[in-house]
Formats: sequence, structure tokens, C-alpha cells
Amino acid sequence: MGNPEGRRSQLLRGVLDLCLLAVMGDGPAYGYEMTKRLRGRGLSIVGEGSIYPLLGRLERDGLVETHRAASNGGPPRKYYSLSPEGKRALETGVSEWRATRDAVDGALGLANAEVAQ
Amino acid sequence: MSEFVEECRREWRRLGVPDPVANEMAADLSADLEEAEAEGGSPEDVLGNSAFDPRRFASAWAVARGVTSQPAVDRPSLWRRPVAVALAAFLAVLTVGAGLALLVGFRSHSFAVAAHPMRVFAPGPNRIALPGSLGPFEGTQIAGAVHPVALVLLIVGVIGLGLLAVLYWSPWSGFRRDRHGGGRTRSWN
Repeated sequence: MGNPEGRRSQLLRGVLDLCLLAVMGDGPAYGYEMTKRLRGRGLSIVGEGSIYPLLGRLERDGLVETHRAASNGGPPRKYYSLSPEGKRALETGVSEWRATRDAVDGALGLANAEVAQ
Repeated sequence: MSEFVEECRREWRRLGVPDPVANEMAADLSADLEEAEAEGGSPEDVLGNSAFDPRRFASAWAVARGVTSQPAVDRPSLWRRPVAVALAAFLAVLTVGAGLALLVGFRSHSFAVAAHPMRVFAPGPNRIALPGSLGPFEGTQIAGAVHPVALVLLIVGVIGLGLLAVLYWSPWSGFRRDRHGGGRTRSWN
């Protein structure tokens, strides 16, 4: 089997945009704030790539809206929030993820049963 | 402004990112890095493994935002890659040739001869004399003279190939990036 870190990266690559949209559901956030929210939900990107290019793509695709505002005592930051298209994309993405997860769980469960025999 | 952000700015300038956009991205990045540092974190907390490759990170971000005026191609590699391949081929031929020369030198003792009393070869430990119908022949083994040159070429070839391999696998090299990424960076870096 391939190395576990490589597999984790591949798996995350397909759903990190969904995770970002999900944490934006908690309210507008700037880049590092989203990283911290992800970490708070148990998803660390250390060892993975940065979220900035992904945020750039979400913005270009119209899935997020941005505005600049002062952060807590710091310089003005670019805040990202869900656009109406982003909310729809999140709903669709969550459904797709659950369907995929269930299918993979089923396949892995079958594999486990075969290994157990 | 950190060296990482400066390196990003240079890459954005190279890619033709408009100054206002580059300034905005640099400001956001600086603010996030400073906040992480103030909290006792590292650049990796903000950037993941992109913290080790500012050019690639900057390029990926600009491409994802659609603010580049030219393709995100690592321009030096356009000439560097063919040169590297040619150099590798040359070094490989050099190494194999030198190795073969050494092998042949070890296995057969070739020598040049001259009729007595001609002494065209310098006297030395490899000087030999052979009896013959026209008189004794004297000669000097030339295989021994080939060995040092072949050995030097072999060493040069091996070291050269080794350096190329190190360059190829180093994270700051554009060789592998171009081969695997087709010159473009991924959307999530």
C-alpha cells in the first residue's frame, strides 16, 4: 500500500473546498481564521497545502463573497463568506460526500469481512 | 515583510499580477503570518507544506484567482530542462566510456613497440623488451597511461550525475515540477 500521508493528502484534496465552505457557514472569516476553525474541528492542514489557492478558486467561481474589514486590533483583512451559489454548492457537496462515504464504507466493510474469513 | 512574502511578490511580478492585487495578497498573507507568529505558531500553521516553496505557492494562488497575465510556467526550466537532459546524457556516455576504458585497460595489456635502437618511449617501469627475428623490440605499455585519464573521467562523470540527481530531487528544483505538473501548478498547493 502507498504511504498513509500521501493517501490522506489525496483524500483531503477532493473535499477541502467543501470543508472551507462548511466553516464559512459559522460566519465570515479570513484565511488564517479558517485554518484555525478547521483545526478546531480536528482537521489540521500542517503537512498539507495552503488554503489560499483554494480560496482564490472559490472566489473566482463565485462560491464565496469577500469584503475587507478590520480584524481585532490588527490590520484590515479579507473576509470570506458563503454566497448563495456557495450555499447550494455546500449542500450538493455534502450530499455527494455522504453518498461517496457510504459507498466506500460498504466496500471497505465487505473487504473487512473477507479479511476476517 | 517576511522573506517568504518577498519571494511571493517577486513571483507575482514575474507572472504579471497587477500591483493592487499583489499588494492585497501580500498584505493578507503578512497579516496571517504575523498573527500565527504572535500566537506562537509557525509559517507551516498558515501555509502547510507550501511554507517551503514560496514560488510555487505564489504561482498557485495567482493562477487560482485568475490574475496572471501569462501561464504559470517556470521559465528558467524551459531552457534548463533540455540542457539538463543533454548534460545527463553526456555524463552518462562519459561515465560508461571511461568505465569501459578502465575495464579494457585492466584486462588486456596493450603496448606499442619500436625497433631497436629507436627509443620513442620514455623509460619507465612499464618498459618491456621482446625478442624478434629483426632484433629485439622495445616498447612501453600504454594501458598504464590511459588509466589515470579514464579514472578522472569516470570520477567526473559519476560526480556530475550525482549532482544532477541531487538537483533533480531537491524541492527547489523546477525539473520534477515541470515533468509532473506540465509546467502548471495545482490549484491547491
